[in-house]
Amino acid sequence: MLDDLIPLIAPVVLLVAAGVALRESGPRPQRLPALAQAATLTALAAAVGSVLVLIWYGPGTGLLLGIAGVGVSTRLDVVSVTMLVLVTFVGWIVVRYSITYLDGEARQGVFLGWMMMTLASVLLLVQAGNLVQLVIAWIAASLCLDRLLLFYRDRVQAVRAARKKFVVARIGDAALVLAATLLGLGYGTLDIASILAAAREGVVPGGAVWAAGLLALAALLKSAQFPTHGWLTEVMEAPTPVSALLHAGLINAGGFILIRFADVMLQAPGVLAVLVMFGGFTALFGGLAMLAQPAVKTSLAWSTIAQMGFMIMQCGLALFPLAVLHIVAHSLYKAHAFLVSGTAVEMVAAHRRPGPVAIPDGWAVVRAFGLALAIYAAIGFAFGFDGKSPQAIVLGAILIFGVAYLLAQGLADAAPRVLTRRTALYSVAASISYFALQRGAEWLTAGTLPATPAPGPLEWALLALSVFSFGLVAIAQATFPLWAYHPAAAGLRVHLANGLYVNAVFDRLIGSWSIRRPS
Amino acid sequence: MKPAPLAEPMDMASISAAADAAARQIPPLWPLATSAAVNPFLGQARETLAEASARLGRVGGISVTMPRTWYLARIEAGEITDQDLLAALAASPHAGGPNDLQTLVSAAREARPARQPMATIADLAAGHCGTDWPGLIADRTGVWAGGYFDQGQALWAAPHGRRAWITFRAHATQDLTPEIMGLKGFGTFVARAPQDPMAAIARAVFRLGLNEAALATYFHQLLLSLGGWAQYGRYALWRAELAGGTNTTLIDLLAIRLLWEEALFVQHEAAIHDQWAGIRIAHEAPVAADEAGIVDAILQEAAERAAQRGLAETLAAPALQTFDDRPALQAAFCIDVRSEVFRRALEAVDPGIRTLGFAGFFGVFTEHRRFASDVRELRLPVLLNPTVSSSSGEPSDKDKDIAARYAARAKRAWGRFKLAAVSSFAFVEAMGPVYMAKLVRDALALHRPAMPNDPAPRFDPALDLETRIGAAETVLRAMSLTSGFARVVVLAGHGANVVNNPYASGLHCGACGGYSGEVNARLLARLFNDPKVRAGLAERGIAVPEDTLFVGALHDTTTDAVTLYDKDAHTLHHRSDLDKVRRWLAAAGKVTRGERALRLPRAADADEIKVRARDWSEIRPEWGLAGCKAFIAAPRTRTTGRSLEGRAFLHDYDWRQDAQDGFGVLELIMTAPVVVASWISLQYYGSTVAPEAFGSGNKMLHNVVGGIGVFEGNGGLLRAGLPWQSVHDGERYVHEPLRLSVCVEAPREAMSEILSRHEGVRTLFDNRWLHLFAMDDEGRLAFRYTGDLQWRPMTPAAPVRDMKAVA
Repeated sequence: MLDDLIPLIAPVVLLVAAGVALRESGPRPQRLPALAQAATLTALAAAVGSVLVLIWYGPGTGLLLGIAGVGVSTRLDVVSVTMLVLVTFVGWIVVRYSITYLDGEARQGVFLGWMMMTLASVLLLVQAGNLVQLVIAWIAASLCLDRLLLFYRDRVQAVRAARKKFVVARIGDAALVLAATLLGLGYGTLDIASILAAAREGVVPGGAVWAAGLLALAALLKSAQFPTHGWLTEVMEAPTPVSALLHAGLINAGGFILIRFADVMLQAPGVLAVLVMFGGFTALFGGLAMLAQPAVKTSLAWSTIAQMGFMIMQCGLALFPLAVLHIVAHSLYKAHAFLVSGTAVEMVAAHRRPGPVAIPDGWAVVRAFGLALAIYAAIGFAFGFDGKSPQAIVLGAILIFGVAYLLAQGLADAAPRVLTRRTALYSVAASISYFALQRGAEWLTAGTLPATPAPGPLEWALLALSVFSFGLVAIAQATFPLWAYHPAAAGLRVHLANGLYVNAVFDRLIGSWSIRRPS
Repeated sequence: MKPAPLAEPMDMASISAAADAAARQIPPLWPLATSAAVNPFLGQARETLAEASARLGRVGGISVTMPRTWYLARIEAGEITDQDLLAALAASPHAGGPNDLQTLVSAAREARPARQPMATIADLAAGHCGTDWPGLIADRTGVWAGGYFDQGQALWAAPHGRRAWITFRAHATQDLTPEIMGLKGFGTFVARAPQDPMAAIARAVFRLGLNEAALATYFHQLLLSLGGWAQYGRYALWRAELAGGTNTTLIDLLAIRLLWEEALFVQHEAAIHDQWAGIRIAHEAPVAADEAGIVDAILQEAAERAAQRGLAETLAAPALQTFDDRPALQAAFCIDVRSEVFRRALEAVDPGIRTLGFAGFFGVFTEHRRFASDVRELRLPVLLNPTVSSSSGEPSDKDKDIAARYAARAKRAWGRFKLAAVSSFAFVEAMGPVYMAKLVRDALALHRPAMPNDPAPRFDPALDLETRIGAAETVLRAMSLTSGFARVVVLAGHGANVVNNPYASGLHCGACGGYSGEVNARLLARLFNDPKVRAGLAERGIAVPEDTLFVGALHDTTTDAVTLYDKDAHTLHHRSDLDKVRRWLAAAGKVTRGERALRLPRAADADEIKVRARDWSEIRPEWGLAGCKAFIAAPRTRTTGRSLEGRAFLHDYDWRQDAQDGFGVLELIMTAPVVVASWISLQYYGSTVAPEAFGSGNKMLHNVVGGIGVFEGNGGLLRAGLPWQSVHDGERYVHEPLRLSVCVEAPREAMSEILSRHEGVRTLFDNRWLHLFAMDDEGRLAFRYTGDLQWRPMTPAAPVRDMKAVA
């Protein structure tokens, strides 16, 4: 039974270290850096240990430490250990980074304390075996993060952004509390595994569909989906590692609960359809808005909005294994991207050195799409299309549209042969890597996550819409220089760069820009 | 709308002149990739500190000195003596300040009255309707200007290539945000604004009822409220004027900012009319030094006098004995204060080593194209224009050049794949897991960035022999190096070695335009090694021995390693010499790191410094030029063996050689390196005393915009100057804000004569943005320049040995 406790070591160690850290005051706390790093490394080791426990004993829910079904219990399966390893790994990276980065900062101890508190909350969330733990950890993580976002409390913009996030987060919390209540009442248990097992057998009590709807709402709000994305583009008011933690950790919580409750979500196809629409729209909208951002961190924030949209869309298409893959891959990429955002000056300078970018013409773009589809077909047959859901095939096609963009750059008339060869090589490598990872994710989560059901008419319509809209944007992107600088597109650029003003309207509604007058 | 009543009619010419004058109050801001230290008080150089204090206080609430407690602590600790205070009091050019020591000290005990800037219309409107209009204007300006000035961050660039006014109007007529926030009809207002920005400025001036006298500080205030964006506009003007042209970006920015004022005025006129009338009148009052500002300026001067006392004592100590044998090694370094520590360490390694100080671009004003690059890099002081161009690699390296370009372009295509709208999803799902390895690599600092190692640079197009000989002679004479050449002469440029640091360029060589200095050093070494040039030099009286080898080098100021570019030359006969030189340099590096470790936080010993260079989370990899306080132009023998704590620019200069040529070298030193050093010193000064206005804020919040500068946080104003972490270690200041003390060993008459011919330089000394001292033949500070081409003998610095003699 002791092995049940291994996953719990991670949050407990962090909470203890956080307790010590929060009592520190003044710059350069003596032993804290060593303690914080030891705590995060121990948490990482505990997460790896949990993987071994899972391999050895198989999935399951540990003992409930508490009374009357309320307390801490650990759900150990592929989803939770993946998240445990991811969060502790990123946690170690950001804490280690913060130790040097915040050196000399007067409140470094407090910063590290809240950072470890946040990590501990997220770890309790991802391993939650029961609804109460899940809800409390969810809310705690958000509140702890607020302390980090408001690390510089006298910054007007920090307060402004945190307030906006607070409003969105509390609505999300309310949705999650309601959803949990409905699930608990409907299934008559607080144990998540039992609920999932019942749902998988087709038990759909009254309120379950409402619960799915509320879970979806909580996820959309948590993952900064249109139209509540605004706060995410404004929280660069805290030190860089906070952004890394937010974009690689907390923002995933939305996707995580959808995946955690995948069996429940599948009982509500209408809700999934809504997720596809919101996620798909946000993915395209965020991706386009990002193109027009001249500031590096802002651009990364828009990129996260888009990536989260794509992940939510995958959940909506019931491609849960791929959503897990996306969360992991995106977190690693984005944590790195934020932490190295100081290289932006050198990146921009380096891009100018080798001369102008070759612009592909229409014919090159057509050839690129043709080639990309050929690569897709070749690799698809190599990996085997049979047994693939139409949803997965469509998603693969969308991703291959992206590869076409890379190919098109190599096919531009002005591009020399060597460049064409290299981009083609990169394209094939990226495609193989993508399909291999996808296969791996499916293999690992088989049994834990439900299979993608056969599409009905609604799903077919959504799939067609997705292929069409992503295809359209992909073509627009590949032919970008041919139209983007036309005066007719100038207005579009302004509107997109401003995120279609949704954020401005939100600002106006909650009085973000009002000056607080002394009462 | 009824036209506002006017005090007196004004013509376009005077409005235009006022706009231009306001533009010149703003200091320029170089882009981060090629950053240069800039004197933030450039526009106020014609005023004294107390006058600048009054002006900047009015337009921005900026204080230009430290808090009074800072001075008081020094007075109470005895660092600033009564003597210093009295001398500063006597030197104050202003009436209306304290009359005696007691009044001055009691003033130092009181907090300085806070400077309140005048309200703009945006401030008044905010007070009236409760919406943060100044904040919104900054935010909207950031969105537009970030796109307009972007050098390649956004994949979908904003329209470039047309003047700022036109693109702003195109942007603002589309942007719905101001109207959503409550500025009714702003889009239409912008669309109907005059085509000509000067006409728009004039219209606003009339509507706001501004009088000619009010324009100076009002316009200045509006430009100041645009922060770094206005400074970037000033940079465009600076570059254009250097090339003999002109640029209107700043005028456009003023017109844009006035358009906001006008629109807000139209909407809120009824409510704010009376308040505005009062402010208008206040702007008309001429700027004059007030008592608080005078007290501050005197205290500042006293702090500087205290530091100068210390410097005088150091220079008055008996000189080390030097040998006249042929040195084993001569090593020339940049005058940069970081070189002082290294030079001292190197000279201590072996008595046969001599070092020299010269501006780190070594007199090579080159526009350089690095290997596999199209970009022309201005590797020279930003005050000047290039005279030659160069490129890395021989024509025979063409194939390698093309291959390197293809590799870079493929990488760039991959980078675009990573960022574009749909492909970014494919990128993440295919490549995300790879970042786990990258995170580990960077977290553990496993990746070692290489020092610049392009193929040898050459002049491109090549220079004819006569030009080459002339250039070589000029540089050698300017370095006061015309005889006594060692077997090996190292010319060491310098550069920082840091990762993930937007301010990397600021740590490189300022004299090389914010690039590392190896290109200039290598070009010059190659020139000096050319046998035909040597023959030509001999004809002109500079005999360089045949066995002398010049070697270009790069001093890595972060780790104090020195890279020798000895493969650029034939070194067959110098193998053992070079081995010895390498050992000496390594030994000196170790000593230097040990000395620097004492100042750097979290650097317990010399070895820990090396890791800083590749730590991605390190925001204080080195201290740059923090602490700089003196500039000494004299033979090295005056300073050999004395610790100047890495706080002095050291320029080798022998006036006896120069006197024959009519003090041409002295003129060069006083008009170029001294001015550059003053920009550096005053940038540190401004970023320390007024970090909000003249510093770029908290490095942890920096968000690089357009590849040119930083936002602090989300957006809004571009920030200029040094980050807080570059002047403060979290517990104490690492830079003491002192205006530079320039000490020159040269006849006073020669210096006065040069000052009388260079109005701009003289202004700096007369208004005491710089202090000037004449050194005597023994290297002591003998005379202080007191302004108006007058000198006063220094009261004997009461050296300890004299006191003893009396006792």
